[in-house]
This record gives sequence, C-alpha cells and structure tokens, in this order.
Amino acid sequence: MQELFSPLKVISKRTFFILAFVEGVLALLIWQLTAGELIPTPAQVATAIVGILGTDYFYSNLVQSLALIAEGMGISIAIALLVAYLSLIPVFKPVAEFVIKCRYLTLTGLIFFFTLITSNGHNLKLSLLVFGIVPFFVTSLLSVIDSINVQEYEMCRTLRMNSWRALLEVVIIGRFDLVLEVIRQNFAIAWIMITAVEGISMSEGGLGTMLIKSNKFINVENSFAILMIVFLFGILFDYLLGVIRGWLFPYTKLQLLS
Amino acid sequence: MTPRQYQKKEALLKVSNVSLRYDCLVLRDISFEIDDIVRDGVTQGQIVSLIGRSGIGKTCLFRILAGLIKPTTGTVLIDHDQHPVRAGDVGVVYQNYILFNHRTIYDNLRISLERSQTPPKASIEAVIKEYAAEFSLTEHLKKYPQQLSGGQRQRVSIIQQVLNGNRFVLLDEPFSGLDAIMVDKVKQLLVKISNMHEDNTFVIVSHNIDHSLAISDTAFIIAKEDGKEGAVVKESLNLIDMGFAWDPDVIRQQEFINFCASIKDKI
Repeated sequence: MQELFSPLKVISKRTFFILAFVEGVLALLIWQLTAGELIPTPAQVATAIVGILGTDYFYSNLVQSLALIAEGMGISIAIALLVAYLSLIPVFKPVAEFVIKCRYLTLTGLIFFFTLITSNGHNLKLSLLVFGIVPFFVTSLLSVIDSINVQEYEMCRTLRMNSWRALLEVVIIGRFDLVLEVIRQNFAIAWIMITAVEGISMSEGGLGTMLIKSNKFINVENSFAILMIVFLFGILFDYLLGVIRGWLFPYTKLQLLS
Repeated sequence: MTPRQYQKKEALLKVSNVSLRYDCLVLRDISFEIDDIVRDGVTQGQIVSLIGRSGIGKTCLFRILAGLIKPTTGTVLIDHDQHPVRAGDVGVVYQNYILFNHRTIYDNLRISLERSQTPPKASIEAVIKEYAAEFSLTEHLKKYPQQLSGGQRQRVSIIQQVLNGNRFVLLDEPFSGLDAIMVDKVKQLLVKISNMHEDNTFVIVSHNIDHSLAISDTAFIIAKEDGKEGAVVKESLNLIDMGFAWDPDVIRQQEFINFCASIKDKI
C-alpha cells in the first residue's frame, strides 16, 4: 500500500487497472454528489448517451465526422510526410521549419481567408483541419528524424548505399512504425479539431454540429453525452492504432521493451 | 618467447600527416602504415590496435579511416592500389552494434551481401546460412536485432561487414560492455575472420589495452605530447617481433601483463 504513494515505484499491470477502476468510481461518485442544476449527474448523462445511441441522427453524424477525419488525416499525413522527408534535403529544410512554426498561427484569423478561397463548406472544414493538423504532424515527424543516430546513416555508407538509399532504408522504411505512433499521438489533436471545424460549417452535420446544437438549446445532458461519446471514440481509436502498429511492425514492441 | 617467421609486404593502408581541427586541434600529423603480413603456409590477416585514452580523438581517427569524414590535412590511402579511402571501402562495427532494427538478422545479412562488390558464387541464402552456422547464428536468423544479446548483435555486425566484401573492418571498442567469456569469444571470432583471407584487416579502436594487444600484430599508441595540442601517434609497436602476436594464451603470460602495464603509463 505504501508503494502506491512512493515516487518511482513500479506497479504491476493488474495493480494499475485496479487503481484506475477505483479512481474512476471515486471520480463518478464525486461528480454525482457535486452535480447541481447546471451540471448533469453521471446517471443523467448515461441516460442521454443511451438516448443518443438509439437515434439514426447520431449515426449519420458520426459517419460524417469519421469520413471527414479520415479524409483530413489522409491528406495531412501525406503532406506532413512529404514535408518531413524533404526536410532532409537542405533546400527544403527552411520550408519544414516554416511549417513547424505555423503551429503558432491562430485558426480564428484564418477562417475568413479559408472561407474566401474554398468553394463549399466541406472544403472549408477540410482546409481548416489540414492546416491545423499538419504543423503538429511535421513537428512530431521531425523530432523522430532528429533522434536518429547519425551512425545509422554512416553504417549505410559503409554498406555502399548512396544517400537516397540511406534515406529510404533508415528514415522511410526504418521509422515507418514511428510514423504510425506519430499518427496515433496526433490523432487526438485532429479528433478535438474536428468538433471545432464542424461547428464553423454545419451544413454537412457531424458530431461537432450535434454539440453546437445541443449547446444552443441548452440541452446540457446531451452536450455532456456527446462529449463523452467523442471522448470514448478517441480512446478507442488510440487503442486501435496502437494495436495496428504492433501488428504491422512486430519489432516495435521489442524496441519498447529493450 | 620466440618471434615467428613472417614478412611484411606492401602497404594495405597508409595514413600520412592526418590532422583534424574542429574548434581545436583534435589530431595532429598522424602517420602510420598497415602492411600485408605474409607467413608461409598460413593465411594471415592483420589485426591492428589503436590504443588511447577516452576522449583522445580515437573515434575521429576511426571515422577518417573509414572515409566518413575528411581530415583537415593529410591522406588515407587504402588497398593494394593505394587509392584515397572512400566511404564503403572500410567496414565499421560501432560500439553499440548498429543494425537495421526493422529487419530480421537474415535480412540484415542479405542486404549487405546484395551490396557486395564481389557477389558470391553460391546463392545468397546458402552463403548466409553457411556464415550463420559458422558463427552460431542459425537459430537467430528469423529474429530481430532487439531480440539478440549484445555479443550476438556484435557478431552479426561483424559478419554483415565481411559479407559486404570489406577486407578492412574498423571496430569501435569491441570489448566494452561484454563479460569475460564474451570478450574471449569476440577475440576468437576476430582472429578467425581475419585469417579467412590474406587481406582481411581489422583495426580495433579501444582503450582496453590487454585484450586489444592480445590479438594484435601491430599497435599504435595515440596520445598527446606534453604542452601540445592534438593527439599524435606516440609509439608504434610490432607485437610480432616482441613475441606477443598469434599466441592465444599470451594474455596470461607475466611478460605480456608487464608489457601492458607499461603501455598504460604511456597513454
């Protein structure tokens, strides 16, 4: 018991899950007891979730959000990988550095600009999503590339590989498992952003639109329920991407263990 | 101890007036030569030690010898035709045994063999299996590098460079981080591979004097001269003439132990 309150102690997986369960129950209890008129209780939220899951309206919006995020992630990953890989060619390095700095550009000021240059609501949402995600993707990918030991490139040279082959072997093929990890980590940003951009253009629907509408009609139970659904889907995707990574790249687990 | 009969023929590697400067002078006027050692009735490779303290500039010299960085001044000529060294002429086995972690051991060896300047007559699979059997790696061919011990990874690294057709292989601190039994095995491995071809030349960069010298025929002591910037070759040692070379039990001989102790005072 004392170990649970001592720093740097390693606990078993079983102990961790018991801890997580107990703390989860405690959090729900505190929520239940402190919820007042403004904040719905867990029981009310659970009821709302069941209600939402029983409607076709929810599934059409969920599919809409999933389709948008798949499209946005696909485009963002393609752009980010291109920028990150090209950053190893000196002439493209400044471009990659600029893209990284774009993390500090606020989207609010750019909505008007993107509204002007896009032809419809879908493209507007997609543009905002891609513009919002790519700098974070590139930042993570470049940190993966920066962490590569220079001796790996040197080994390629001793094996008579030219610099293009070394790039392919060490960075592109050799670190593809880490690209999936970067996707997993940054998926959270995309998942958060999607509700925001769907709130900007509501014509196609989506979970973000559902949230805005619930807020507009002060349907707090529904708002909390949608938030919980978004949260749970996020965790599910995070888990699935982790599983896919381990399945596609079995050596990943070994690297984590060693 | 009686020195054995041998002849030194042409230079296989010649370092002339190599200096390296970064913020300060790291290496100064390094010159030495590694010659082809010939013995009657024996395929005799070369094992050379570069001995020096940690941080003296051994790794910089190592990278210059491998053609991975250019020296500020001086030249490194290699092979029978004495051409300037290029990356790819010399194999490198790093201290942390770098391998392609996303490839199995078989694929690590295959990629090396496919890029060899002298493609094997037998099939790639046959050659890999032969080497794997020879060096006790057969059961590990399907594994990933992270599943192997340090000693096993080092063996793969060495064989990878040999399969690539490199007659010259540099080893950075090959004995560090290994237990006593593994050190003996690595020494046996290096002697075995060096004697597989007349031109095979291992250059061991190490601060572990006893083990390096125990398998070397030649050694160069890298150290700084009093009051001067940059490391130089302070002394070259012909271990064959001293009677210490090619003797598997030399490390247990008192004369050799005393000799190593005297070297420690010089670095």
